[in-house]
Amino acid sequence: MKNFPITKDNGQQRIPSRRSFFGLVGGAAAVGALAACGDTGGSTNAGASSSTSTTKASGSSGTTASSAGATTTTKAPNGDLDTAMFAASLEVLAVGTYGAALDAAGAGKLGAVPPAVAEFVTKAKADHQAALDKWNGVIKAGGKTAVTEPPKKLKATVDAEFAKVKDVTGAAELALLLEETASATYLKAIPTLKDKAAIELAGGLQVVDAQHVSVLLFVLGRYPVPEVFAGTDKAAAPG
Amino acid sequence: MDSPPGEKDRIMLNEPMLEVLLEESSDLHADAMRDTRPSVARLEEWRRDVGTSLPTTEQVSAMSTARAEASSSLAKSLAAAGLLTGGIAAVLLGVVASPAAADKPLDIQILQTATSLELLAIAAYEAALGLPFIADGNAVVKKFAETTKSQHMQHREAFAAQTKALGGTPQTEPNAKYLAIVEMEKPKLLTPADVVKLAATLEEVATDTYLKNLSLLTDKDSIELTASIMGVECQHLATLRAVGALLAGGDEGIALIAIPTDVAKLPAAAGSVATPKPFEEPDMASPPAEGAVK
Repeated sequence: MKNFPITKDNGQQRIPSRRSFFGLVGGAAAVGALAACGDTGGSTNAGASSSTSTTKASGSSGTTASSAGATTTTKAPNGDLDTAMFAASLEVLAVGTYGAALDAAGAGKLGAVPPAVAEFVTKAKADHQAALDKWNGVIKAGGKTAVTEPPKKLKATVDAEFAKVKDVTGAAELALLLEETASATYLKAIPTLKDKAAIELAGGLQVVDAQHVSVLLFVLGRYPVPEVFAGTDKAAAPG
Repeated sequence: MDSPPGEKDRIMLNEPMLEVLLEESSDLHADAMRDTRPSVARLEEWRRDVGTSLPTTEQVSAMSTARAEASSSLAKSLAAAGLLTGGIAAVLLGVVASPAAADKPLDIQILQTATSLELLAIAAYEAALGLPFIADGNAVVKKFAETTKSQHMQHREAFAAQTKALGGTPQTEPNAKYLAIVEMEKPKLLTPADVVKLAATLEEVATDTYLKNLSLLTDKDSIELTASIMGVECQHLATLRAVGALLAGGDEGIALIAIPTDVAKLPAAAGSVATPKPFEEPDMASPPAEGAVK
């Protein structure tokens, strides 16, 4: 995060354990400079085993449909396409992780699941699926193949963390880290994007992911708006 | 929780007045198009002349001059007419806002408008904290109002500092359009739910305005700052939506407005009320020049 010309301290303590959770986030190359990051061949276990129902058709049609309704998608510049592909891969990871959480809850592996938490997981999964559909619309309009796999290294890390989840609190903590990573990644990507529609999409997704963060903080018994300025220190790097 | 705050709970507009404003906007739009036509024509001429080859330094300079002229004229006219968020305006701005150089006049207006919204929010939360049912009411709601006011003060400082950094004059007055609405609503603020609904509207306007501005700004630092602050305003909005829903749930819901809360007792809707859409769209954005220094 850039240093803006005023104080950023609102007296709220950040949680050190969440600053560099993945060991893959923060301080890496700018998202906009990424080469194509839609990893293929990732393993399928807990983190992404469920409901990554993306289409894999390629093409360059200017019009695509998303789960949020029909939308017109314009062809984005090449740098924007690289960012879109990385963003889509993160959305695949989020959809898969929330799906795995729902599966675990359904199998009774998380203990009693409060109704609000079940509702949140269902809604968040749907939101990320809609985001994935949007990005894949941009990607296909740019003549590339839709992204259906998560970032390999990040997925491995999430899988390892997911294996430790034993209850709803643990699942909420993992979801919080995913959402913080997603919102920070979009925040970092926005200044690198050129296409206006891509900028508004990334911004609109940053908003919803940051709002997911607030809900999870509240559920976990923490203040829902802990930062004065949103930062990029948890932004994901490719790989 | 039968009436969660959402789109249907936004502040109601005076529809007859809106029709008058729309008619005025239409007239202003026509004037703006007339004033801008020569500048846009000059840009189109340059595009034909330059073709697909790389332009010379002289051509870039000339294009920048024409672009700045067109952009400034168009932005001022359309923004004054409240049409800058419209489709036609977006297309026209796409024509004139090519990256030949940073569009500082428009960037400055955007930052001044952002500052005006922050000043408005500060005033609104200050007023809320003066209400007895907030000052002496639910501890979490009071803390939220205090903390959020403080955060908006720091956002105001940041936007003002960035305005100065671009050579502009920082805005010192709250957004006049929404200040009038706040003043109109003040006598109707009789319960915490009324305050939460008004605050949510202001936070949504700020969030949507900053979201829209991300694609209008040309200065990278200003984009980063705006995106960063947007990421906090939207959390204020999410929190207010959740609190509003719990307030609507009566005593049982109010008891759950606590940190930590009793998660097991939260109604299912608490898990989704804060994020009604899969992605935010800037449908409540203020035009870039709405809060510009005159």
